[in-house]
Amino acid sequence: MNDLKNPLSPHLQIYRWHISSLLSISHRIAGVINLLALISIFFWVLTLSFGEDNYNLFLLAINSFFGKFVLIGFTWSMSFHLLSGIRHLFWDLGYGFEIKTANISGIIVIVFSFVSTIIFWLLARGFI
Amino acid sequence: MVQFNLPKNSKILKGNYFKNKTESSNIKIVHIYRWNPEKNENPREDTFEVDLNKCGNKVLDILNKIKNDLDSSLTFRKSCAHGVCGSCAMNVDGVNTLSCMKSHKDIKGELRIFPLPHLKVIKDLVVDLSILYKQYESIEPWLKTSKSKFQKNEINQSKESREKLDGLYECIMCACCSTSCPSYWWNGESYLGPAVLLQAYRWISDSRDEDKKERLKMVADKLKLYRCHTIMNCTSSCPKGLNPAKAIGSIKKMLATS
Repeated sequence: MNDLKNPLSPHLQIYRWHISSLLSISHRIAGVINLLALISIFFWVLTLSFGEDNYNLFLLAINSFFGKFVLIGFTWSMSFHLLSGIRHLFWDLGYGFEIKTANISGIIVIVFSFVSTIIFWLLARGFI
Repeated sequence: MVQFNLPKNSKILKGNYFKNKTESSNIKIVHIYRWNPEKNENPREDTFEVDLNKCGNKVLDILNKIKNDLDSSLTFRKSCAHGVCGSCAMNVDGVNTLSCMKSHKDIKGELRIFPLPHLKVIKDLVVDLSILYKQYESIEPWLKTSKSKFQKNEINQSKESREKLDGLYECIMCACCSTSCPSYWWNGESYLGPAVLLQAYRWISDSRDEDKKERLKMVADKLKLYRCHTIMNCTSSCPKGLNPAKAIGSIKKMLATS
């Protein structure tokens, strides 16, 4: 499509973001982050098999501020991807294509991804 | 291939400033994308001060006014000015629309007008849509029937069957939806895009057409159809209020259930 002489009209640079487009790209990014999360779970098991010292080092890493941030981030990305995936399943059944419905379902996904992350950590830490 | 940045020859430079010469204080600042094929220069963004006291409500009125009063070299497509022909599709304030349907009073502050995104620019706001038209041709958008052309009666259609075409037949192929779709930006030559897929669905849904199976088979392709990831920019931008995302979803559902 690129011509040597004729320019390409601007696209990403000028197009306004909608809730729907923002959620679509976030869904993909969350998918990639989930892959990293999965790899780090395998890594966790791996450090266990390498003996106590290695495992303690891993514990130290995830108990640091950065480690906690990453773990909470992983939880959010998992719940976001799951909820957004359910939204995609509804589309596959043929529901929720109206702009208004899609915006509402999008906002629900965003809000509940945070809510479920908070609930997950409260449960994990034994607060509830 | 996905390329997020504009190529070197497409980077937009700062353009000329056209000052308002009347004494009116009711001024709208309008930025417009310009590119002249006769000059060997990058595209630029010109700024116009437009007197709204003597201007209609639509964005197209602004463009006409600029062409008449400020810079006659401004180039854009237009014809009916009533949202029927689809010629004046462009990117207004970050969203694709027909400039003859969009009121500039809905846009607060400065107005930015660009050509339809991610296409070859021919001049100013005029873009090359030939790939889209070829794709449109590829879905064979005409009635296919085994009935002889010598048949004297029309092919009857029940009221219910006819209603299935509502929300599909109204499409005027202005290309607002297709050029709003990031998937179409990155895979414009293999993915059919929302406009053409909506048209494909229009013929699939037609009770008089006898080629439904073949039509479904033709679009059932990883690239042609399934590059749609329900981003829904198409539906948000359609100036006729149609829903290409839903039409594509219906094709996917038909294929999954047949």
